[in-house]
Amino acid sequence: MVDLQALRQAEHGRRIRNGYMWALFCAVLWGIWYIPGTVVWGLAPFVEMYTEVASTSGDSMALLVTAVLITALNAVTVVLALFVWNGVLGNYGEMVRTAKSFQPCSKWFLFASVFGGPVAILGSFMAMGFVGGAFAAVAALLYPVVGSALANVWHGEKISKRAAMGIIVIIAGGITIFGGGVISELQAGSVGWIGCVGGLMAATGWGIEGAVADKGLDVANADVGLHLRFISELAIWIIIALPLLAIMGYPVFTYAFQVFQPLTILMFIFAGITFGFCYVSWYKSFPLIGVGRGQGIANLYGMFAVISTILFFGDVPQWTVLVGGALCIAGSFIMFSEESLELETLR
Amino acid sequence: MSNLPRKIRLMEIMQDGNEYWNYEAIKQAMQDYGMQGDFARDTLNMDLIELAAIGFIKEVDLKVDDEGAYKKGFLLHKYVITEDGKARLSDACMYAI
Repeated sequence: MVDLQALRQAEHGRRIRNGYMWALFCAVLWGIWYIPGTVVWGLAPFVEMYTEVASTSGDSMALLVTAVLITALNAVTVVLALFVWNGVLGNYGEMVRTAKSFQPCSKWFLFASVFGGPVAILGSFMAMGFVGGAFAAVAALLYPVVGSALANVWHGEKISKRAAMGIIVIIAGGITIFGGGVISELQAGSVGWIGCVGGLMAATGWGIEGAVADKGLDVANADVGLHLRFISELAIWIIIALPLLAIMGYPVFTYAFQVFQPLTILMFIFAGITFGFCYVSWYKSFPLIGVGRGQGIANLYGMFAVISTILFFGDVPQWTVLVGGALCIAGSFIMFSEESLELETLR
Repeated sequence: MSNLPRKIRLMEIMQDGNEYWNYEAIKQAMQDYGMQGDFARDTLNMDLIELAAIGFIKEVDLKVDDEGAYKKGFLLHKYVITEDGKARLSDACMYAI
């Protein structure tokens, strides 16, 4: 006699494991993305661009303007990488159908692109430019709090005590990793209000994006939804942000046409693949385990980013990295060990 | 041929409130989209699993696939659309082009 309930439970457990696996892929790929994401700042034409803008408008503005161009170009390669991905999955027909269903589906991905792109990414760079890199990293690590709270209030998504504890422990781990840097950044000089606004944008942007995108993912496929979200983000950078900067007198288009150099293009391809698939994994986790858990595990990116920079740039880790990393792993296990039957339905 | 995204179409198939085995809804959707093969079948089944996870459809029965209606030896699920699913569907179909 076949035990139907045991089979059902096993199948259900597979769904939860797959959800956590996608969220973990997201964290690993996001961490790896920091390699091309860092290297590209030291390549032509961005070094010249930064120097030129800094000479007239100061370092913080130079960082912002260069960041917009890099982010726009990053979005180009992400969109291309996703065309390959969705082509292999045979999703082009579904993409057209989803894009046409604006009210129920694609409008949510349009909103998601606004919160995840200009709000979160630009906010992150503002925090980086006007306060410091560690401050920006810590601010961004807070996004699952916003995401899970919003998903709970708006969608009625269940957040168990265990899941909430896991999210908090992972955030504590991330703060421990970057905490020392934040203290020295805050002590180093005046903290501009623009930097604080940027930190707030980073903390809220990705959290809101997750909850908003999840509304679209109710009735849309994650691979397709994410692709539409990036096409929309690319349009925002190319149609609004870059022309606006050009009108303000910044030479963004001049430098945009100078990116066709082997190493720069190679780094953008690397960035497009890692960022594209990190985001695909992020979106794929939401319908399986919910926004709160998906974002909580994806938040391990802070730890993986540090591991990437240690491995590829030879940075010597401080002891806080080990303590923070241990907290991140502990937080993950708190979430993984949640009774899967509690997640039979996410809402 | 349906112009609706897959998940919306799957809910539309079930909108009459009747109970459907997963392979019945999948077979209908595959015909609507002109899809063929195991990969398309499994993709649509994943869509059903995701719809059930957020409570737009709910499982009412299950049995082991002895005859290979979906995939021999695997578990078959019978679903019915929920009130939440109907509400989201009416919103979706009203505005879909």
